[in-house]
Parts: sequence; C-alpha cells; structure tokens
Amino acid sequence: MEVRTFSTNSVKEFRQTWEINTSDGFSANAAVIFSSIELDRNEIIQFLQPMGVRVFGCTSCGEFLYDSEGKTISEGGLVCSMLLLKPGSFNLRLFSGQGLSSFYLGKKAGEWAANEYKDPAVLVVASGLTIDGEQLVHGIQEAAGQDIIMYGGLAGDDAHFKETAVFTEDNSDTNGAVLMVFDKSVYNIQGIATSGWVSIGADKVITHSEGNVVYTIDNEPALDVYKHYLNVNDEDLPEIGVEYPLLIRKKEPDFILRAVLNVDREKKALIFAGTVPNGAVVTFSSSPGFEIVDFTKKKVNEFFESNPATDLLILFSCMARHNALGPTISEEIEEAWMKWKKPLIGFFTYGEIGNNYRNSCDFYNQTFTLVSLKQK
Amino acid sequence: MLVDFKLLIEDLRRLQTPDEFTLYWDRVQEELSLVASEYSKLKFKYERSNKEKNILSSLLTRTSADLKKVSEHLKIRAEELSTILSTIPAYVYFKDIDLKYILVNQSFAELFGADTDQIHGKRIKEILPGYNNPGYFEQENKVINSGTAVYDIEEEIEFNGRLRWVSTNLAPIRNVEDQIIGLIGISWDITERKHYESELRYSKELAEAGTMAKNEFIASISHEFRTPMNGILGLAEILRTTALDENQMDHLKGIITSAENLLVLVNDLLDFSAIEAGKMELDFHPFMLDRVLEDIFQMLNLKAREKSLDFSVKIADAVPTHLVGDSQRLRQIIINLANNAVKFTDQGKIEIRISLENRSADRALLRFEVIDTGIGIPPEAKDSLFKVFSRIKQNQHKLIAGTGLGLSICKKLTDLLGGEIGVESMLGAGSTFWFILPFELSGIKVFDPFKTETFQELLYTGQKVLVAEDNLINQKIVCFQLRRMGFEVELADNGQSAYEKYTGGSFDVVVLDIQMPLMDGYQVAKAIRIKEQNTFKHIPIIALTANAMKGDRELYLAAGMDGYVSKPFTAETLQQAIQLAVAVASRYSRD
Repeated sequence: MEVRTFSTNSVKEFRQTWEINTSDGFSANAAVIFSSIELDRNEIIQFLQPMGVRVFGCTSCGEFLYDSEGKTISEGGLVCSMLLLKPGSFNLRLFSGQGLSSFYLGKKAGEWAANEYKDPAVLVVASGLTIDGEQLVHGIQEAAGQDIIMYGGLAGDDAHFKETAVFTEDNSDTNGAVLMVFDKSVYNIQGIATSGWVSIGADKVITHSEGNVVYTIDNEPALDVYKHYLNVNDEDLPEIGVEYPLLIRKKEPDFILRAVLNVDREKKALIFAGTVPNGAVVTFSSSPGFEIVDFTKKKVNEFFESNPATDLLILFSCMARHNALGPTISEEIEEAWMKWKKPLIGFFTYGEIGNNYRNSCDFYNQTFTLVSLKQK
Repeated sequence: MLVDFKLLIEDLRRLQTPDEFTLYWDRVQEELSLVASEYSKLKFKYERSNKEKNILSSLLTRTSADLKKVSEHLKIRAEELSTILSTIPAYVYFKDIDLKYILVNQSFAELFGADTDQIHGKRIKEILPGYNNPGYFEQENKVINSGTAVYDIEEEIEFNGRLRWVSTNLAPIRNVEDQIIGLIGISWDITERKHYESELRYSKELAEAGTMAKNEFIASISHEFRTPMNGILGLAEILRTTALDENQMDHLKGIITSAENLLVLVNDLLDFSAIEAGKMELDFHPFMLDRVLEDIFQMLNLKAREKSLDFSVKIADAVPTHLVGDSQRLRQIIINLANNAVKFTDQGKIEIRISLENRSADRALLRFEVIDTGIGIPPEAKDSLFKVFSRIKQNQHKLIAGTGLGLSICKKLTDLLGGEIGVESMLGAGSTFWFILPFELSGIKVFDPFKTETFQELLYTGQKVLVAEDNLINQKIVCFQLRRMGFEVELADNGQSAYEKYTGGSFDVVVLDIQMPLMDGYQVAKAIRIKEQNTFKHIPIIALTANAMKGDRELYLAAGMDGYVSKPFTAETLQQAIQLAVAVASRYSRD
C-alpha cells in the first residue's frame, strides 16, 4: 500500500498537485478526499474519472492533513490522500438516500458490503443534514452483522448547515452515503472513538420526540428548556447547540451525546444530529475545559500501544471539538501524527461512526474518531 | 522588558556571513511563530472562558435550583415513607449486602423489644441468638445473588418467649448502576391465620367424618330393611298361592304393592348414599341389549296395563345387540324413567325408543327415550328436575309418591357412565325423558342360560338341595320356593350344621345365607370347596344375601360360590340364580 498526501485551496491547485505526484510514475487507484462545500466537486470528479481512480469523498466543516510535509488545518480547502491499494481487496459505492429511510439506506449498503467480502470492514461517509447517522448504522448492522468493523463521519458544510455532499469518481449526492469496503484478510482496520464531554445537571426526561426532533423535555417545550438552562438567546442557536449536546444515559457507564444541529422556532423543537428516543433520560453536557485534550492524548497513546503500525490514519473529528478547543485542537491531532509519523488525513464532521470498547458500532457526536489503515 | 534584546544584538554581531545571518533569522522567525501560536491559543482560551463562564454559570444555577426541588421532593417522599413504615401493620427491614440491618420500622423493633437504633448495623443472630432457620438464610442469599424476589416464607419464631408465625417477602435493593446493594424484607404476623387454618381443618375433618357417618348410617339402615322386606314379600307370595277369596286377594295385592314401593325407596336410598360416598362402582361386562329390554318390558307392561296404558319398546334396526357396559345400571335408569312415566300418565301410552347416535368400529353411542302422554312438566321445573328431592306436583295439592331421588340417581348414573340426560316436555301433553350412553361393542356372544322367560314349576324334580338359613321367615320362603321347583329340601339353621349335613349327605345344589351363627356362608362355602378337592366335583353353591353392594360379588366368588341372589327375591330370580350357578359349576365338574 503506497500513500501520498497533499492539501490545496482550489481545484486547479488540486489538479496540478495530483499531476506532480504522478509525474514519477506513481499510479494511484484510489483517493480519499475531504473538501470544502465551496469547491467544485464535479470538476474533481471529471478530472479523476478518466484515470480510473476510485474516490471516497465528502464535504467538510474544515479539513486537516498532517504529514512529513507539514501540518494543515484549513477551512475552504481540500485534503487528499492518493492510495495505491491491492486490486480486488477493496471496493466502494455511492448509495443514494432519495426516497429511502436512513435505516433502509444502511440496510441496502450493508447487504452490498457483506456480499463483497467474506470478512469485510467498512469506511463510511454520509450526508450530514439529511441522513440520520444512528439509523444508518443500525441498517448496516442489520444486514452485515452487529459486530462489523465500521468507522466514518457525516459530511459538513463549513458550519452553514444548509447542504452537505458525498461523492465518488462517478457521482455526487447531497442525500446519500459512500461505503468503502475492505477485505480484512488484506487490510487491518482499527480505531478509537473518544469524546471527553461530561454530564452537567440533573436528569431530565424526553417526553415527546419523533426521530431526531425533540418537542418536549419534562413536558416543557424543548427549545424553551434549552434556552432557559444555557441562558442563551435565539440568535445563539443553533450554533451554540453543537457545543452543548444532550447526554443520553444508557446502561451505566455508557452514554451517547446528541448535538443540536437546528431549531424549529415555530414548534419550539430542537433538531438533533441523531435519534433521541421518547422516554430517554438525558442531561446537559459540556466539554470539561481544555484538559479534554490531555484525555484524548491519553486515549491516542493507548491506541498506539495496541496498534503501533499503520499506513494511513483517517480522523473524523466533531466540528464541536473545533469550536470548543479552537487552535488547541491541533494538539490532539498532532499527538496522533507524532505517535505513528504516518500521514493523517481528516475533517471536522457533523457526526461520527465507530466501534466502541465493546466492539459494537455506534453513531456519536463530539468525538475524536481515529482510524488506522494498514495492509497486512 | 520580556525579551533580552541585548543578547540578541550580541548574537547578531558575532555573525560573519549573510548566510549565517539568514540561518539565524529563520530560527528567530520560527521561535516567534511558536510564540504567536501559543499566544493565539491563550487568547482563545481566555475569550472562550469568558463566553463559557456565562453558560456554565447558568447551567449551574438552574441545576442548583433543580437539585433544591429534588431535595424538597425527596424530603417529602422520605416523610411519606417514614409514615408508611410507622403505620403499616407489618415488620419492615432493610439489610445491606452483608445482611446487616440498615433500617427497620418501629413494629420490627418492638417485636424484638429493642429500639431501632439498637438493631441498626447488626445481623439477625445478634438480636435473636436462638434463631437458626437455614431455609430463611438460603432465601436471603438467593435474593442477594440472583436478584429475584422471594414470597411467602412462612416460619414460626420465638420472640421474647412468645411463639409467633410470620410470613415474609424478600426483594433486592439496587443502586442506580443496577447493582444489588441489599434487600428489603416485609413480614406479617400470621399467627391468628394459622390458628384459623388449624380450626378450619379440624372443622372440615369433623364435617367430612359426619357426612361419612351419615352415609354409612343410611347404607346400613337400608341394608337392614332388606331382610324383613324379604320376609314380607316372600310370605305374601306364598300366601298368593293359597286359596283366597277376592277380597283377601285385593288386600294381598295391596300388601305386595306397598312392599314393592318400600323396596324401591330402600334401593334408591342405598344407591344415593353409595353415590354420595363415592362408593358406587360400575360393573362393565358383555350383555345383550334386547335381553335387558325384554326384562324391562315384562316388568313394566303389567303395570302399564293396570292403568290401561299402551306400553311398547321400539329398537331401531341399526342398534347393536351385543354390548359391553353396566347392564344393571342401564336397566335401573330405564326402569326409573319408565316407572315415572307410568306414574304420571293416566291415559295414552308409554313408549321406550332406542336409536343409534353414533358408531365406530368398537364403540356405539345409544340414545334412549322414554316417551309418555302424561301431565307434562312446567318449564320452570325443568332446571331443578334432576336435583335431589325434586318432585313434580300433579296438581297444586297432590304430590306423587316417591323419594324424589329417582331422577337425581339417573342423572348421577348417566354422569358416571359418561353420558348425559335431559327432558323435553309440554305441560298437559306429555314428556320425553332421554339419555345418551356410550357402550363398547362386544365381539363375544353373551352366555345367556335363561331363555326361560317365566318360572318353571317342578324343574328340578328328583334333585336334592341343602339350604342354610337362620331366619325362620326366610326359611319358610326359600323352602317353599325351592319345593315349587321340585327340589327335595334339606334345611340347616346355621353354618356349622349345614357343613355337617353336606359332609354326611349327597346334594345337587347348596343355597347358603351369608350371615349365620357359628359359621357364616363364606366359611361354609370355603370348607365345601376344600372338601371337594381331588374329587373332580363342584357342587353349585348360591349365596342368599341382604348385601347388594358392588364388590360383594367378588367376595362370593372368592369364597368359591357360583352365584348369588339378593334379598328380597322372587321365585323367578332364585330359579334364574340356580340355573346360572348350575351352568357355571358344570364347567368345573369333570364327572
């Protein structure tokens, strides 16, 4: 497996850099591309399609690349990882969500992945504002098994919360998912998902919700409760909601964070980045401060100890971490780069997907989800 | 000054070439960029802290208000719980994982004669040293280990010298992480209940014993009636063979009718008490249905004619003849219903119809109907008709004679035989009593020795019979009947005398009463059979008995007898019993 990485600020620059990288005869057969929504995806597709390069791509809420050439954290740009993978040991496909529930979309994609290889592992990106990440994960698991290894993230749009997209070398879709499936007998795919957010305040109960829309909490309008407790104004929402997600209690010690992505002021409802079930017991939550970075570093070190060799690191980091940590975010990204000294590519997401400590995949918000890809 | 520029300038002065200067300047710029990066991080942290301060402060303030509310709520709940614990008429305790009491209510403490504080932190052994119930400890461990509740542990415990029965429920207590941290026990004093239970049990036993005694009394008294009844009917029969004028014959018929009615009453009582005591046993055996119906016809036709009623029995062609069932009980049900029909019908006809309801390879379901043109039954009486002591009034003031047990016995017998019974009736137009019974189909021909339909005089002329009977009246009756059959009769008035006469003489038939002084009928029969051993002879022995209970037949057969006849009996039944016994005995004899 050969990897070359670069970052650019325009499609033109992307084309030039790609050509420079192939001028010595290097012929990539796949590419991982995370790009700002502002850049023209179609142009990228038109450029790569004739070369037969398979593309696993999505739009971002800021993208980053750490490699031997430098450290880039940008917004409005593009990061690319050119890959020469063993033919026949990977495949990828875009599944349109048009007219499908997120669960059914996941089920369809999962069936495909399960049929590709006897023992598959999956990378997934999905449209951030149209796909319910939790239902997508459940759908894939339904078809491909509860224990399937799967990591990924929901596409972003530079925090405009208007439209996100996923794309391959053939097509781009604002309501769909791209699955890249690997043959686990050839590639070792491992990862971690860690948040560090902590619960604040007393337990509350979701008294009326439908999917990812919460109408009432403790029988009060959800928007009123949220504004009252955080003492924020209308104009602060939904932006502030990304940083102060609801923490849904599961069987101790498990919990899951759900960030507010939007608000319905007329219905006084909160729209979350994943399902918040009726009857769920929740609390508010916050990052505990900048020491969260130390927590992530500790987790990265543990992951390194158990998984010291890699060819490429892919990081799906929640946009809320970027908001909360500001420039300090570079410290946790850098920690991963410094440990392996192998290219690290990633983007700030609207939600993350990854296997937890019980080896069961879930959909998260606010996490630092790091994946290692290594050819055996 | 934060940075020592003097040192910087001194460094610059030491540089010799432009390259050295460029290299040095790059380093300075790199370090300045690091300083700028740290500055931007610090600035972000400072600004963010200010922004977050408001939100966190709000969250904390609201949370604090929430906690205050929760605290007040908990306080109210704690007071409620405390009130419940102090007023509930039960002993309530909470134990930790080590099974030490962490909270008990006042009732619990009082039971042990202690304050609640004295109990806290202790195990049961420390407050009740004599307590040792491994079963209870086992249940406590079960609750702690498995997390399942246990109900109704009953035990008798001595508290301060007083024995009390308590019933306890145990349930686990869990923390928010769902881990078991102890258990709650609630015990009730059930000493009074235990006493009531004990008294109830005693009363029930008494009641059952009383019912049993009553049934036995009825059975016994009914049985005692049968011997004098035999005397009355037998003597009346003898009397009928003598020369009587018309007036005397009328009186005699009155005596016979009354005695027969009385016999029906006694038989009903005997059956009813047997059914009630659960002692009614059924005797399933092969029989011929047309033979049973023929007997019934003979018996009832006469009665019907006396009232100028037409009487007929109609059997559908499909009805099988050879059946296996309790023919005696079948006969009893039909006679009972037909007797009622005669009783309640003044003009018209009585008809017995038998039809096939259902048939398989080895079973048949038969429907029996007794149809009359009598007074009919009012609709309101139908429901209670088959209940005990239910009787129909012929008119407002006149009750028809009977025990009121007949239909109830029919109902119980059809139930016992696996069938059902019912009635359809129209007031003033007549009734149809019906019952359905299952029978097995018999593959074997029934041994039917009595094709003789009526009594035959002098059938046994030249044969000698030994009769053992201690009752003088019965002696007269049985001797008269046997002599009519042509027997030469040798009489013995007790068992021992009978056996002696048997050994000293030569007889063709032996008739033995069962209850006799010195040797009873069983003993005589056994002695005769022992004497017969190795002789290849088997003299027919017939028992005369007042016992008509099921099971007696086995006793007679076990004693070596070949047949029996129940008192009171007619000359016909005695002749039939002798015929059967002779037929049976002939199978044993090889001479």
